[in-house]
Amino acid sequence: MNGLKEIIQSNRVWLCLDCGKCSSVCPITRHIVEPYTSPRLLVEMAINSGEDAILNNPLLWSCLTCNYCTEICPSQVSFSDFIQNIRVEARDQDKSPNCTHSGMMQTWSRMMSDPELKQSRLDWIEDGLQVSEDSDTVFFTGCLPYYDAAFSQLDIEGIDTTRAALKILNYLGIEPIVLKDERCCGHDQYWQGDMKTFRKLGETNLENLKSSGAKRIVTTCPECAWTIKHTYPETIGDSGMEVLHLAELLADTDLLETLPDNPAIKDKPVTYQDPCRLGRFSGVYESPRDLIQGLGFEIKEMTHNRKSSLCCGTSCWTSCGQVNKKAQVERLEEAKSTGAELLITACIKCQIHLKCAQNDPILGEDIQINIRDLTTLIAEQI
Amino acid sequence: MKTEKKESKIILFTCNWNAYSGLEAAGAEKISYSPTVYPIRLACLGRITPGIILKAFENGANGVLLLGCSEGECQYETGNKQVAEIVPETRSLLNLLGYNDNQFQLDFVDVGDGKSFKEIIQNFTNGIDEIQGNQ
Repeated sequence: MNGLKEIIQSNRVWLCLDCGKCSSVCPITRHIVEPYTSPRLLVEMAINSGEDAILNNPLLWSCLTCNYCTEICPSQVSFSDFIQNIRVEARDQDKSPNCTHSGMMQTWSRMMSDPELKQSRLDWIEDGLQVSEDSDTVFFTGCLPYYDAAFSQLDIEGIDTTRAALKILNYLGIEPIVLKDERCCGHDQYWQGDMKTFRKLGETNLENLKSSGAKRIVTTCPECAWTIKHTYPETIGDSGMEVLHLAELLADTDLLETLPDNPAIKDKPVTYQDPCRLGRFSGVYESPRDLIQGLGFEIKEMTHNRKSSLCCGTSCWTSCGQVNKKAQVERLEEAKSTGAELLITACIKCQIHLKCAQNDPILGEDIQINIRDLTTLIAEQI
Repeated sequence: MKTEKKESKIILFTCNWNAYSGLEAAGAEKISYSPTVYPIRLACLGRITPGIILKAFENGANGVLLLGCSEGECQYETGNKQVAEIVPETRSLLNLLGYNDNQFQLDFVDVGDGKSFKEIIQNFTNGIDEIQGNQ
């Protein structure tokens, strides 16, 4: 790695010393009371106190890389990239974050980085769903079957989402390829600075994707979409294929026009949580909203929406604690205050994190709102 | 042609109480069990998580056996219920990663029952050997 000085130079973070707009919007900063918590102060620490100070600071791992700071930055500094670069440096020096869930997700990703591993990951494809070995479309499931198993107690829509996506694609006449040797895309490994695992996962995925002969990758996970579309070409290689989140694909079809009106959802008030990787990273704000309105729902926007949307509070399965919980509760209260009866999102992690926060027995009804994935809501109407 | 026998590695998590007492009894009675089994003693089996079990497989284990106290016997009241709750989730994850049901099991041993301890281990290692085709 290049060392801290080069990371500071290449990301031009000295510009942050005279500003601080990032620190006023950071969803973590507003809930932490300790010093050295805001993006600007972390930059100051990196510049003034040097490598040891920042690499040993647990707060290095608290950044969600949600990109709200980057969105508002008047100098086009990517604080998320700066943090990612430093994390790579930290990893090179054997420093690592506190992983949640006993490091379960990091472990299964590392296990998947073994090219010899023979997974059994297609059992969710039930009778009636059509897949093919020769199609121009690959449906990239991501870790959804794994999350479904790991978070069964949260009643999340893991496999429900992959089945719904397949049902919708089949309805559109697409019988996609689903790769039996697919790996975790490596999004979390990249943003945690674990480049060794990330590269191995990416190389195996690219090999499998290229040999599929398809021209297009569709996924329901915004992190998979962003990673395959942008991070792979920048670090490992380009798949040479079009990469789309399902919402992007569907917004360009006449799917909704072919579905009958459902009086049960006509004008039902709902709100929408922009996933960071789909919204601020990929710039896809309107496609999911068009689909939600097209189904008949009425969208009641939260105060923080689109570019100013708030992250679901945790990233990369690291550093989850009271600060993250506060961010999640804040988001759920905001969703409730819109008067919506349903919180719709387009990312499985938003659903997991927000549903987990809802387990709080004391806050109870204050943060209870039904949370659904856009994909399953659409599939229900078919 | 001589075929090399593949060496298994089995991680055995025991609780500090009934299961470990079974292991000690087996030792005291000089009941031998497979040398491929590596016991790790925990205060209570309720302490185990799916992440720790996956970690054992990541590090090369061919099987993970959990041995604790039977119903109503847990020193901490709920440890054996807690471990029972994580078994289906862990099994689903291991299946996804391509592992067989025989490679991960939860069982119980009574205090000082070295004979049962050996039998459970024998059955488990036989199951692993079957998968590896080296019986």
